[in-house]
Amino acid sequence: MSTRRRPALAVLAIGTLALTAACAKGNAGGSADAGSSSAPRPSETNLTELFAPPKIEVGTADDSKGPAIEPEGVVKGSTVNMIDRDDYPHLDPGRVYDNVTANFHLLITRGLTGYKKVGDNHYKVVGDLATDAGQVSDGGKTWTFTLKDGVKWQDGSPITSADVKWSMERLFAPFITEGPPYIQQWLTEEDYKKSYKGPYDGKELGNIETPDDKTVVFKFNEPHADANYALAMTGYGIVPKAKDTKEKYDKTPVSSGPYIIAAHSLDKSMDLERNPNWDPATDPIRGAYPDKWHLEFGYQALAVTDRFVADTGDDQKTFSFYTHVAAERTQQVLQDKSLQDRIMRRPSPYGDYYYFNLDRVKDVKIRQAIAYAWPTKQIQTITGGPDTSVINTTILNPSVSGWEDYDVFGFKQHPEGDLDKAKELLAQSGDPTPTIVYGYNNTPTEQRVTVAIKNQMAKIGIKIVAKPMDTKTWYDATGKVENGLDMYWGGWGADWPTAATVFPVIFGPVRDGGYNQSHLKDPEVTAEIKRIEGLADVDEANKAWAALDKKIMETITPLVPGLNNVGLQLRGSKVGGAEIDPISWVVSPNTIFVKP
Amino acid sequence: MLRFLTRRTVAAAVTLVIIAAVTFFLFFAMPSDPARLACGKVCPPETLAQARHNLGLDQPIFVQFLEWLAGVFVGRDYEGLGHCSAPCLGYSFVNRAPVFNTIIDRLPVTISLTIGSSVIYLIFGVGTGVIAALNQGKALDKIASVASLIGSSMQIYFVGTLAMYFLVFQWQLIERPRYVPFTENPLEWAYGLLLPWLVLAMISTANYTRMTRSTMVEQLSEDYVRTARAKGMSGRTVITRFALRGTLSPIATIFGVDLAVLIGGAIITETTFSLQGVGRLSIQSVVNSDLPMLMATVLLAAAAIVVFNIIVDALYAVIDPRVRLS
Repeated sequence: MSTRRRPALAVLAIGTLALTAACAKGNAGGSADAGSSSAPRPSETNLTELFAPPKIEVGTADDSKGPAIEPEGVVKGSTVNMIDRDDYPHLDPGRVYDNVTANFHLLITRGLTGYKKVGDNHYKVVGDLATDAGQVSDGGKTWTFTLKDGVKWQDGSPITSADVKWSMERLFAPFITEGPPYIQQWLTEEDYKKSYKGPYDGKELGNIETPDDKTVVFKFNEPHADANYALAMTGYGIVPKAKDTKEKYDKTPVSSGPYIIAAHSLDKSMDLERNPNWDPATDPIRGAYPDKWHLEFGYQALAVTDRFVADTGDDQKTFSFYTHVAAERTQQVLQDKSLQDRIMRRPSPYGDYYYFNLDRVKDVKIRQAIAYAWPTKQIQTITGGPDTSVINTTILNPSVSGWEDYDVFGFKQHPEGDLDKAKELLAQSGDPTPTIVYGYNNTPTEQRVTVAIKNQMAKIGIKIVAKPMDTKTWYDATGKVENGLDMYWGGWGADWPTAATVFPVIFGPVRDGGYNQSHLKDPEVTAEIKRIEGLADVDEANKAWAALDKKIMETITPLVPGLNNVGLQLRGSKVGGAEIDPISWVVSPNTIFVKP
Repeated sequence: MLRFLTRRTVAAAVTLVIIAAVTFFLFFAMPSDPARLACGKVCPPETLAQARHNLGLDQPIFVQFLEWLAGVFVGRDYEGLGHCSAPCLGYSFVNRAPVFNTIIDRLPVTISLTIGSSVIYLIFGVGTGVIAALNQGKALDKIASVASLIGSSMQIYFVGTLAMYFLVFQWQLIERPRYVPFTENPLEWAYGLLLPWLVLAMISTANYTRMTRSTMVEQLSEDYVRTARAKGMSGRTVITRFALRGTLSPIATIFGVDLAVLIGGAIITETTFSLQGVGRLSIQSVVNSDLPMLMATVLLAAAAIVVFNIIVDALYAVIDPRVRLS
């Protein structure tokens, strides 16, 4: 999990849909104008049905061939403008771990694998530089990739397996302290910087083999069925061995993607021009339809929204990667009929939970009573109403591969809470009138949410002791094992859309600063997580994760699922192919084009 | 004069060092950890330690401050980033670019904003104040008083947002503000900043009108003004040579402070109009826990205040012959 611009700890503590994000790489192709995310106004409010979860599967070698599937009505050429608040913190792909920067890198960086949009809300993990999404052997421990013919750097030199190996090895170097840790850990150990210091002193990593210029073999210590998903992250984008300038590469990257950076004024603007050595026939992911990109930074949500609403001059050819409609304009935008065909909507792919502290709330009957009585609808109303969120009932977000729907506690059937069932369970518990210490972010919205929770729980005889907490230190405080709280909010986003980056983390080791915020220490759950992680078959693993999701909620109930925020963006009227990507929750550049 | 400037310059330098030290040590009282923020969420201990080392946060705070201070005067070598020439204000924690370069890059926007708006509010503020004072109790005076009362109670984020919404987006009477370098196209430079200038000036003009009017009224009743009139000097001469000159001393004082505050960063103005100046940079550095950038913006603001205070003090002697520098 990582976030746009702001690291996860602070961002998740704030818990705003404008900031929370994950770092899965979102690629798209497909329908013309916004696809499923350019939906009609759902005044009927059932967003859950309106936004079906995306279908994500592993593609074949055929799927991995270029060019990308063209959006309907695509027009090539012209210059597209993009405006957002912040510039990108890193241009070295090895240092990228946030979804916004990863999304930008689709324009200049390629990796072994990536996400290809093959239809409306339908994605496949395919070979990007590789001919397919990887050949797995040795029970999931060995992954082999073969590079395509004709893949080149911006200077025309070929991309080789040595470049791929080098790109992975350099992630161990001391100067790279950002980016995802998965592949490094799978190749060595959890604290991977101890084992290897990178390739700059001439030492190589033994378990990445390059038998020839085209073939790369990863030999992991344990089976990892979803290594091809992990390798789709921008953090595993390729860097040329011959042109690697170490720390300085972060300012002067070499492009393997469809564009090169022609000009960059830090934090202000960036201009991209076509990379003459990028061949669309090798790229199944990126359409790269505009000739040029002009990116500008420094715009707040309100300014961006007003520009898109006015839709004048060059702003008609402008869109934003991640800036949502400003809160104060949300209702205006939703109600203005003239804007409906320029609206993009998409539920967040990230998990949002109200955790129980299992060290303190030990009686499962009490936890389940709270879950049954949970004031879902009241919270939804307070946080913006059904136009801005959907009700979640599972631990996994619906955007995660293999997610299966269930509703153990009737969050959808009884959104106002099933008080009778809750009272029944409380009567069976060891303490029918428990006191719950509830920690909350001391923001105006959370204050109101807390009142709703407090009032609701009072109806079933539970006393809520509300403890306001500082937003900036939220995760530090709730992340402590001895946090003195019984219940608190927390968020988590999968780094790639499989449960392998959800359950092992949120139900992983219990330690200060860790992410097992419910402090769940169930040997059976731990063993099952380990077993599923070792499965080589992705479909089998997905089914097992979904079953585990339901089982944990049914038998342990370590959390109450929170609402799933719905992102709302606008774009200029001459921008085509724009939609909020369901995996990365930002607008992918892959399908963008400029209408005449 | 030289003694005055020397003494004030030394005092200014000491002030700036104290401000730098306070900013530096206060930063570490903040709850966020820049290394942790830079390292990402899944950050093994060794990587976190490396991030601290790379950001120079693994040394005692006092040592860090001394190294930073030395860098300002003699430059500094950064592991993996190379030499940073004096005045080296460090590398940004966020984008690892030299802070000094970023400040220099942003300063023209802020200076342009300051110059344009201050010319407008000085001319209109002082002018309206003089007219109001000369028409004391009459309709013009009352209109000016009411207008300045309304103006001074306005806030940039309110007026600016309204101006943007109606003038730019709804009625499209003026293009949205943008910065074009003066050297590139002076007309575009002025047009691009016209709206922020007018909004900023509208609010500041009110203060200058009130200040000018009250001081001018006071000056007009002074003995030396009466004497000048009694000697048969024309009304214009009395006003421009005597009354207005006496009025300008307090005006110069607040003008100096206002200029310094704006150069230090018109945070709200730059944010409202999406201009990439020093003010926005300072806010970003706080949000991003970017200590080197934060230090630079705070120091710039402090330096502006100190320098303009010296200039204003020196100008007193020019404006008011009764003042002697010592």
